[in-house]
Amino acid sequence: MQVSIKWLKDYIDFDWSAEELADRLTMAGIPVENVIRADEGLDHVVTGRIDSLTAHPDSDHLQICQMNVGGEELIEIITGAQNVKEGQVVPVAMVGAHLPSGMHIKKSKLRGLPSNGMLCSAGELGIDLSKFTEEQKDGIYILPAGTPVGVPAKDVLGLDDVILEFELTANRADCFSVLGLVREIAVLTGNTPHLPEISVKEDAGEKAADLISIGIAEKDLCSRFSSRILRNVKVGPSPDWLQERLKGAGIRAISNVVDVTNFVMVELGQPMHAYDYDEINGHSLTARLAKPGENLHTLDDSSRLAKGTELVIADSAHPAGLAGVMGGLETEVTEKTTSVVLEAASFNGASIRRTSRAVGLRSEASGRFERGVDTENTLRALNRAAQLLQDMGACQVAEGIVDVYPSPKAATRIEFTAEEINRRLGTDIAEDEMKDILTKLGFTLEGSGSLTATVPSWRGDCTCMEDLSEEIARIHGFENIKSTTPNGRMVQGKQGEKQNFVERMKQILASQGLTEELSFAFTSEEQLDKLLVPEDSVLRQAIPILNPLAGDAPLVRTSLLTSVLENATRNLSRKNTDVRLFDIAPVFLPKELPLTELPEERLMAAGFLTGRRFDVAWNQGNEQVDFYDMKGIVEELLAGLGVASYTVGAEEHFALHPGKTALFKKGRETIATVGELHPQVAENYGIKQKAYLFELDVEVLRKYANKAKRIESLPKYPAVTRDLALVVDIDAPAAKIEQTIAKNGGKYFQQAVLFDVYTGKQVGEGKKSLAYNMHFQSTDKTLTDEEVDAAFDSIVKAVAKNFGAELRA
Amino acid sequence: MEEKIEALKQQAREAVASAAKNLSELDDVRVKFLGKKGEFTAILRGLGAVAKEERPKIGAIVNAAKAEVEALIQQKNEELKARAMADRLESEKIDVTLPGRRATAGHLHPLTQTLDRIKDIFFRMGFSVEEGPEIEKDYYNFEALNLPKDHPARDMQDSFYITEDILMRSQTSPVQARTMEKNPPNAPIRMIAPGRVYRRDEYDATHSPMFTQVEGLVIDEGISFADLKGTLELFLQQMFGEEVGVRFRPSFFPFTEPSAEVDISCVMCHGKGCRVCKGTGWLEILGSGMVHPNVLRMSGYDPKKVSGFAFGMGVERIAMLSYGIDDLRLFYDNDMRFLRQF
Repeated sequence: MQVSIKWLKDYIDFDWSAEELADRLTMAGIPVENVIRADEGLDHVVTGRIDSLTAHPDSDHLQICQMNVGGEELIEIITGAQNVKEGQVVPVAMVGAHLPSGMHIKKSKLRGLPSNGMLCSAGELGIDLSKFTEEQKDGIYILPAGTPVGVPAKDVLGLDDVILEFELTANRADCFSVLGLVREIAVLTGNTPHLPEISVKEDAGEKAADLISIGIAEKDLCSRFSSRILRNVKVGPSPDWLQERLKGAGIRAISNVVDVTNFVMVELGQPMHAYDYDEINGHSLTARLAKPGENLHTLDDSSRLAKGTELVIADSAHPAGLAGVMGGLETEVTEKTTSVVLEAASFNGASIRRTSRAVGLRSEASGRFERGVDTENTLRALNRAAQLLQDMGACQVAEGIVDVYPSPKAATRIEFTAEEINRRLGTDIAEDEMKDILTKLGFTLEGSGSLTATVPSWRGDCTCMEDLSEEIARIHGFENIKSTTPNGRMVQGKQGEKQNFVERMKQILASQGLTEELSFAFTSEEQLDKLLVPEDSVLRQAIPILNPLAGDAPLVRTSLLTSVLENATRNLSRKNTDVRLFDIAPVFLPKELPLTELPEERLMAAGFLTGRRFDVAWNQGNEQVDFYDMKGIVEELLAGLGVASYTVGAEEHFALHPGKTALFKKGRETIATVGELHPQVAENYGIKQKAYLFELDVEVLRKYANKAKRIESLPKYPAVTRDLALVVDIDAPAAKIEQTIAKNGGKYFQQAVLFDVYTGKQVGEGKKSLAYNMHFQSTDKTLTDEEVDAAFDSIVKAVAKNFGAELRA
Repeated sequence: MEEKIEALKQQAREAVASAAKNLSELDDVRVKFLGKKGEFTAILRGLGAVAKEERPKIGAIVNAAKAEVEALIQQKNEELKARAMADRLESEKIDVTLPGRRATAGHLHPLTQTLDRIKDIFFRMGFSVEEGPEIEKDYYNFEALNLPKDHPARDMQDSFYITEDILMRSQTSPVQARTMEKNPPNAPIRMIAPGRVYRRDEYDATHSPMFTQVEGLVIDEGISFADLKGTLELFLQQMFGEEVGVRFRPSFFPFTEPSAEVDISCVMCHGKGCRVCKGTGWLEILGSGMVHPNVLRMSGYDPKKVSGFAFGMGVERIAMLSYGIDDLRLFYDNDMRFLRQF
């Protein structure tokens, strides 16, 4: 919705500048998005007459103009334009002008001759070019002969108006009209509006009711249908003042009849339509549902086949328009039209919205109907339109209005007390002030203490006391309401265990050098393919989005790995070769497709690691991360969360290298997966360096996390350490050997730290050496050599028995 | 005899002065003159050959000479130690302007950090965190919030639908309805619901198909619009500094009545008007309002007994203003060079 200050001032007085008015309205809940000054940049642009025109001696396309701009002396301007002639009046940008196009006018020289300004085209002045011919668009804007010389161009161009552009909220349908805005300004200024008197001189003789029959077949979709008949219509252009008002509202002038319907729509908020009476079959119009397959041929000359859900206005033969959205082409008012049926109706907003969306047509009318129009306003609109056309001498008006209004709407009445309103607002506004505000807004107030407000017909949005509280608050001024804080019981702000757990996880992962990413929850078949997700995997059951963005991932993700890999790949493609990322976010697993109930949202954590182990630095090594860096991060995460006594074993995962994948388990349940990215997946993603992943299910991990951390007191007696170097088969899993050591170390055994792994000539083919530093300690005495030796021997025997381990010489 | 002692003393003095270039040389000197087999010891041992009455005198002279040499050696010793320390310090000098060795730290995402700050402020005001599903029923996302199907305000949010009745939630507001529903009727509430939300917006500098919202809800007896103002002013002053200007503008949301947009004075120009605030001096930061009675009723609360206010904010917008970020895509591109700055 946009409207010019001039139009508003036709009906209400105010001294505020456009900016101040915009601010006042905005603070009263009528948001003005922009104040547009058509004359922006037109200072220093004046009208000038071309007194003489001579060719530039050094150019075959430049001309020297001697311009009369109202001063004593002529000024010389060089122009490249070809459409100018001596004696014409044109807009001249003087030195110092800063045009809407951004061009700054300075003294200059063109091919050696001075130029003291510029002749302007309409485009350079920021004028809407839609009504210009091609020639006019390209050349200098030639002003009408007789245009005074030396006056500001904005005055003769009608660019002295200011436009307010509104971003109205969905509830204020009434403000989609000059009338509605004037009502608001009246309340804010305290001034009384001077609205036009509406009176129509009907021609006795012909009765509208004899000329047309109006019907409503769908009472729920059309609550009122009113019409007037205009005779002896002379279709032609509308007067300048009306065109100017429409232009301010952003509406193009077409012809007097159409322009008047648009004018009334903007003035009163009631969309209207004009039909060529003689083109209406059977001289009857009915609001009915379209029949499926019926042809809808609209003003924009496009044809659609009806689905049967659209409300149409049909004559006796076929639809003559999509109700409230767009008229039909056959009954369009043209230059040949001599009789017109004016329609002012009230249609169901939801139905108009559905139709408008379905056919992809949105109009000024449909926008107003969607929000809801004032059903009580149709007669006024018809009379105003008839009056305007009559005043222009463009028609005669047949007697009477044909008005079909099956169930007139009773006015809404709201009971309330000032105390209720004050309690809701936290204010102390007097009852009289409340009554005054509501009365000015058009409500009728009765009673005192216990009050009843009758809602004006144009405020369909007000239905309850709470709505009245808003009216009072916004006019009283939000800024005049004091600020307090809620009373109430003392409560502790907290979050759930799960949220705390996730926060803890993030802290640990960040402390391990991984950086948190946030990713979109979307994925695609291609991404699942790239990840080598097996066809029969549940991860293939990704939920499709009915209306995904074009070219975007159309599924809801089932794996966090696709997200992590997308982000990692983006980093690598930007030459960030060291990528250390983690993500904690849900994946969405449906119970069945299509969805009948909400899917499971499973919170997952995943990480990606590639590149150098340390940041590049003069004093740090350049080695690349490996499997054990990622495994270490997961071990540290588990330790930090108090997850203990898990097992780790070599297993497989579709996206990971089969020889470099470890599953962390509690019993049979996997609590974390770590591995090297499968070379095929790496190739699919274009990742050329080795990369490592982890993935885990947060809720599973949380089951095994130990919330209460137990700290062991420091020992009073010294630890005894022994080194143990074993030679075992190369395939013997270190984790199992460690378990055996721990199990057979006796009661003083504390831990065995693996400090060396060796394969090579010294231990022989197919063998490896594992070297442990073992700690023994007692809490109540210093251990003797014999006690430690006994434990050591028992360990050696056990590993020899279980793994054929030999002590390394 | 006395001359011999005097000569020996002179000899020792010279030896200390010249010969002793380092501590071990000095020690050699000490052994040569003062050691068990040293020169002075030899003289003392040879006192037997001196006349008996001369002995005390000569002994005293020898001891005095010996003490004098000892002192010299001691002095020299300290000098040499000091020089050795100075030499060592000089030789151990490094270029302290070389870059330090830094551990490879990880970083929490800027939106997580911003959200943590928001949560902290509300925790201190007694708000608790509630959560809800991201794939949500149309009922909770819209209908329970006074937004029936075909309501024109649904146009404000174009949503990703899964089925006719299930969608990717377009706001965190459904958590309001879910929280009220699971509570006993009219139980007081002070909650925030942070979370991911989804709208059908093309990905550009100011829009994203997924973003982060924090919804807030307070319900109790006698909660007023003045309480809404006070609570949100407190929050915004904590978030953006005590000096920040806050204004409440009437607006419309189907789930609140009255409704208010909340603006803060522009954090870039402090209200003077700049590109970021489009010259207005104000930045829209929050939507808020008194909970609509229909919303309370639909979730089993009685608007005659309790009232409340609700608010919602975009975490991206707050983070962009806090850190001076001008392109929202930086948050979701997850470029390491960006993330490591936080």
